[in-house]
Amino acid sequence: MLSNLGNSLLFLNAIFSFIIIYFSSKSIKSVGETIPSKIFKISLIQTSFVMSCFFTLVAAFIISDFSLVNVYENSHSEKPLFYKIAGTWGSHEGSLMLWIIILTIFSFLFLIKNKNHPKNYRLYTLIFQNIIILGFLFFILFNSNPFATVSPVPKEGLGLNPILQDPALVIHPPLLYIGFVGSSIYFSAAMASLVTDYSEKQFAYSIKNWVLVSWGFQSLGILIGSIWAYYELGWGGFWFWDPVENASLLPWFAMTALFHSVIVLEKRNQLYFWVITLCLMTFILSVTGTFLVRSGILNSVHTFASDPSRGVFILIFLSLMIFSSIYLLFKKYKTSNSFINSNSKETFVLINNWFMLFYLLTVLIGTLYPIITDALTNNKISVGPPFYNAVIFPVVAVFLFFMAIGPNTKWIKNKFNDIKNFLFFLASALVINFLIVFFFKSYTVISNLIIISSLFLIISTMFDLVKCFKNSNFDLARITSHLSFGFLVLFIGLNHNFSIEKDFNLKVGETISFDNYEIKLKRLSLKDFSNYKAVIGNLEVKNMKLGEVNILSPEIRIYDNPSTLTYEAAIKTNLIKDYYLTMSNIDRSEFYNIKFQKKPMMIWIWISVIMLSLGGFLRVFKNANNN
Amino acid sequence: MKIRIIFLIIIFVFNNLLASEKSLDINQIYKNLRCLVCQGQSISDSNSDFAQTIKLVVKDLIKEGKSENEIYSFMADKYGDWIVYKPQFSKQNFILWIFPYIVLVGGALIIFHFIRRKKG
Repeated sequence: MLSNLGNSLLFLNAIFSFIIIYFSSKSIKSVGETIPSKIFKISLIQTSFVMSCFFTLVAAFIISDFSLVNVYENSHSEKPLFYKIAGTWGSHEGSLMLWIIILTIFSFLFLIKNKNHPKNYRLYTLIFQNIIILGFLFFILFNSNPFATVSPVPKEGLGLNPILQDPALVIHPPLLYIGFVGSSIYFSAAMASLVTDYSEKQFAYSIKNWVLVSWGFQSLGILIGSIWAYYELGWGGFWFWDPVENASLLPWFAMTALFHSVIVLEKRNQLYFWVITLCLMTFILSVTGTFLVRSGILNSVHTFASDPSRGVFILIFLSLMIFSSIYLLFKKYKTSNSFINSNSKETFVLINNWFMLFYLLTVLIGTLYPIITDALTNNKISVGPPFYNAVIFPVVAVFLFFMAIGPNTKWIKNKFNDIKNFLFFLASALVINFLIVFFFKSYTVISNLIIISSLFLIISTMFDLVKCFKNSNFDLARITSHLSFGFLVLFIGLNHNFSIEKDFNLKVGETISFDNYEIKLKRLSLKDFSNYKAVIGNLEVKNMKLGEVNILSPEIRIYDNPSTLTYEAAIKTNLIKDYYLTMSNIDRSEFYNIKFQKKPMMIWIWISVIMLSLGGFLRVFKNANNN
Repeated sequence: MKIRIIFLIIIFVFNNLLASEKSLDINQIYKNLRCLVCQGQSISDSNSDFAQTIKLVVKDLIKEGKSENEIYSFMADKYGDWIVYKPQFSKQNFILWIFPYIVLVGGALIIFHFIRRKKG
C-alpha cells in the first residue's frame, strides 16, 4: 500500500514540475512584473507533496514494511526506532529522497525570498531548478526507486550495516546534502542570470546568502563525517583523503572561492563571469561527486551496493548540465574593461580564488588520476594522504599569509602602511613557534612553516578584532571565520606533530611500558545488548609523568543482523588531548592486538570547524538584518 | 627597518635549526601502504590478516636495512602500484605530480596579467 502511495506521490511531483515549467515559460512571455499566484501555489503544493513522499518512506521504515525492497534490504524489525528512521537515508535510494526534498524546498524558498528581483530572472531560476528536480525524479522513478516492491513479502529484513547504526547517521547526510544539493539553486540562478542578462550587482545580491548557507552546512556536514570516521573506523584519524571525502571537499573549495568573489561583484561590479563560472562549477562538482560515489568507480569506505546503471544515468545528466552551462556561458561571454589595482581588496580576493582553485584541482586530479591510469594502461595506482600532504601543505603556509593580509587592504586602492604591524606579527609568530619547538619537540621545516603562518594569521586577526572593538565597526563574521581557520590549521599541525602511536599485543593481566606510559590489560567481560554482543576490554593507561590514571574500555562487537564484527574504539577526551585505544582479537591465540594513540588538541579541531561555519551564518544574519 | 628584517631572518633560522627529519618511523610506513583486502584502509588501520602479514614483512625489510623508498618499491613490485598510497614519480604519474604546480604558476600568471593589463 505504502509503495503505491509513494509511487503516486513521486509521479505527481513530476507532473507538478512540468506544470511549473509550463506556466513559468508562459508567464515569461507575458507582460507585467508580477508572478501569477498559481505558480506560488503549485510550488507550495509540490514542496508539501515531496515531504509527504519522504514521510511515506519513513513510515514504511517505522512499521517495517518489508514489501518494499529498500526497507527489506536496510532495516530489521528488532532495530531501535531511532535507527529505523535514520535508515531511511542510509541507502542509495533513500538518500536520493533527501536530494529531492532539498532541491524542492530550495526552489520554493528562492521563489518567495527574492521579491525584489525581476520576474523573468526568478521564473528562469524556477524553470532550471525544476529541470534538475525532474532529472532526479526520473532517476528515482526509473532506476533507483525506494518504493520498489518485493514478492513474496519477506518475514524479516536484512538489517542495516552496523557501521551506519550510529547517531551521526541522523545528521551527517542531511547537513552535507543541504550543502551540496543546496548549491543547485545558485546553479539555476546563474543560468537564469545568463539567459536574462540580469544586472550584475543585483545578481550577487540575490545569491550571496544562499552560497553562505550552503557553505555553512557543507562545513558542518564534513565535520560530522570526520568526527564519525574518527570514533567509528578505529584508526584514530579524521581525514584520509578518501575519494568520498574528497568529493565533499571539492564543492566546498568552489563555494569558498565563490562567496569571496561574490563580494567583489556586489561591491565593485566586477568578476561577473567568474562568479557565474564558480556558481555553475559548484553544483557540477557536487553531481560529479555523487557520480563517483554512487557508480562504484571508486574504492572507498562509503560503498553503497553499487550498480553501473546508476553511474550511466548520472553521467548523462552530468554531461547535459556541463554542456548546457558551457554553451550558455560562451554565448553570453563579454570581456569587461574594469580596473583592478594590484594592491587592493579585489586582488586579494582573486588570490583567495587562485589558492582555492589550486586546492580544488589538486584534489580533483588526485581523485581522478587512478581512474584514468586504470582505463588507459590497466595499471591501478593509489593516490593517498602522502601525495596530498606533500603537494598541499607547503602551499597552505603561503596561503595563510595572504589570508592575514588581505582583509586589511581597502577596495580599489590601498597604500601599504601596515607593514610595521605585520613585521611585529611575524616576529611574534616566530617566537611562539620557537618556544613550542624548544620546550616540546622539534619538527620538520614544513611543519615549522605551517605553524608559523597559522600563528601569523591568528595574531593578525586578533589584532583586527581589537581594532574593531575600538571602532565599533564590526566585521565579526569574517574575523570569526578567519580566526577559526587559523586555529584549525594550528591545531591540525600540533596534532600531527605531537601524536603518539603504539601498536602492541597483550594477554589479560599483562602490562607494557613505553615513553611515559604504562598500559595494562586488566580484564575482559562479555555483555549482551539488544542488537549485538560485545567483548569489553578494561585497560588501565597510566601516565607516569603526570601521575594520572585512565580506564579505557574498547569493544569488539558481534552484530546479529546482518552478522558482522566491528571494533569500537575507547576514547578519553580532555581539553589538551585524546587517548584513543582499539583492541582486536588475534586468531588462534590468547593475545589481543592493542593500538594506543595520544592525539593532542582533538577537541579544538572540532571546535575550530564549528566556529568557522558559525562565521558564515553570522554573515547571513547580518545580511538579513541589513535588508 | 633593515635591522628588524635581519632579526626576523635570524629567529626563522633558529626555528629551523631545531627542525629534525623524523627518523624512520615504522607507523608512517604502515600508513602509506594500502590494505588490499579492505575498503580504503591502510595496513596501519586494519585488523585484517593481510595487514598483519604485511606489517611483519615490513619489519623484516627494515631489519635487512632497507630504506623507506626501497620498501615501497619492493611492495609495488610484488603487489602492484595499488598498494602504495604515494604514487612513485614515474613517466606514468608525471602529470599527477606536475599538474598542481602548473595550476599554481598558471594562476599566478593569470592574476598578474589581469591586474597589469587593466592598469594600461
